[in-house]
Amino acid sequence: MGSPFPASSSRAGDGRIVVKLSPAGTSSLEAITYQYPLKLISPSPSANQKSVLVFILSYGGGLVGGDSVNLSINIHEKSKLSLVTQGHTKVFKSPSPDIVTSQTLQVRVDDDAALCLLPDPVQPFESSVYVQTQIFKLAPRASICFLDWVTQGRSARGEDWSFIRWTGRNEIWQRGDEAVGKDRLLVRDTVVLSGPDSLLLGRPLKETMHKTGVFGTLLLRGDLMKPVGDFFLNEFAALPRIGARDFRSAEDRAQEEAAQSESERWSSHRIHKEKEEGVLWSAANVRGCVIVKFGAKTVEAGRNWIGSMLIREGSIAHHFGSEALMCVQ
Amino acid sequence: MALNAVNGDAESINGEIEKLEAQLEDARARLKLSQLSTRDEDPTASILKPSPSSSTHFLLLLSDSALPLGSFAFSSGLESYLAHNPRASTFSDFLPSSVSSFASTTLPFVLAAHRDPKSLFELDDQLDAAVICTVGRRASIAQGRALLSVWERSFRSAVPDVPEVQLLRDFSALLRESKGEIPVVSAHLAPLFGTICSMVGLSLHQAAYVFMLSHVKALISAAVRASVFGPFQAQKVLAGERVQNMIELMIDREWNTPVEKAGQSVPVMDLWIGRHELLYSRIFNS
Repeated sequence: MGSPFPASSSRAGDGRIVVKLSPAGTSSLEAITYQYPLKLISPSPSANQKSVLVFILSYGGGLVGGDSVNLSINIHEKSKLSLVTQGHTKVFKSPSPDIVTSQTLQVRVDDDAALCLLPDPVQPFESSVYVQTQIFKLAPRASICFLDWVTQGRSARGEDWSFIRWTGRNEIWQRGDEAVGKDRLLVRDTVVLSGPDSLLLGRPLKETMHKTGVFGTLLLRGDLMKPVGDFFLNEFAALPRIGARDFRSAEDRAQEEAAQSESERWSSHRIHKEKEEGVLWSAANVRGCVIVKFGAKTVEAGRNWIGSMLIREGSIAHHFGSEALMCVQ
Repeated sequence: MALNAVNGDAESINGEIEKLEAQLEDARARLKLSQLSTRDEDPTASILKPSPSSSTHFLLLLSDSALPLGSFAFSSGLESYLAHNPRASTFSDFLPSSVSSFASTTLPFVLAAHRDPKSLFELDDQLDAAVICTVGRRASIAQGRALLSVWERSFRSAVPDVPEVQLLRDFSALLRESKGEIPVVSAHLAPLFGTICSMVGLSLHQAAYVFMLSHVKALISAAVRASVFGPFQAQKVLAGERVQNMIELMIDREWNTPVEKAGQSVPVMDLWIGRHELLYSRIFNS
């Protein structure tokens, strides 16, 4: 009897996932391989699953200084993949600043296929050095939704953006067709946080982070994600003006609140919570992609916020299944 | 083997075509130069690069706050920062964040365009993909287009006919045709600034310094108009060693940063700039 686990590829930290549409019409795994310290697990498929679910794990629950993980993913026509993690991706300290811990993700998504990547945040520990590169090459009719977020570290141990360097680069490319051949860069979102660089300008990194405990970016592209993108853009446009005064009397206010529709009530409740929990966010349409940036005082506040938005809108659960949302609720 | 060479993947053939095209362009430029320099009897033609005194002249023009780029209309997030932190805001906190963020996101594009003006089109497109907020994009494009107009209407006639002149002509022709969701070129400020500085004879370091100083000047001028402090305090900040050090540090930090790795060093800046649209009352466009 063969091993119940998928076969491993050969280079340390390498992994590969291939998803395609099965003859039965559901998304299924064609290949899944990985090598220490990366670990991939996919629960056994059920007949009515909306997407293939894969957990990205690492042995020991984190990346030790110098680890390098390279995951490449192929999502074939009409199939769907959801990627999640189990707990924060911890990045342990590097023995010296030139030892870099890295994660690279290369994703190809074909026409009418979709990827949902909603992981837990990356948690870089004190003195860690981390580089993350995520490159998405999309066919014209492909859809993706992915979240990239980073925390201040172990706040319980007093860590507050105490790492040496954290670099995250996300690129969305539109694949060239046979005729043109050249891929077109749609969005390149890069964040470079460096403790020593910040100190050179006279301020520790935590001061420039302005009391945020978590900072995140959500990127959306494609037909399937259009309603989600519009939802974020509309909610952003409807945020109350900063510095505006409410001249209504208490009576008028109560009256107007009573007349609110369910969705207006939901929005005003959420806006109230945003204020309370120090959530700041913005949304923009950039070259056909919707980019949402958010910061919150605590990781939980950030998680609640992004989770409540995605759950409320509903497309993610509808297209990928509710498991895709497990890291944001 | 032969079959392989015939079929060879499209990418490598494309690469070859691009290389050959670049060579052709280069050769044409050199031909033009040599034709120009052989016309010895024409005294103006022998001056191909602006002379040192003319480059100082342009250095002063480009650093002048009267340069009509419309920079006064933008506060680069300062107004939004003040509104978001009504009690705890200080300009001395905002300045280094803004300088760092501006340098890390745009300075590599200025440097790259100065080093290789021919890459202007590519750099402009890459910067357009990297500006991830509406307000910031608007500010960058508005000033970039203004700079292009200044070049066309005012500077061009005063600059000897170097090959890059044609390059900018092509660029603005393409800009007029560009529309749709993903324009071919957008005319962002940073790459155009680098290209134009190199054409009027500014050194790489001068270009970077003027670019960063202009940002600081625009910020400080915005602070005066937002009643953060008065004009004398403003000059004191500008003249201070802190600003000088800051600019030099930023130029050092970004000197070798490839544009592919340019990124946001102060993430909250994206939030403040992005949320500028939400301010109830505004005196600036960013």
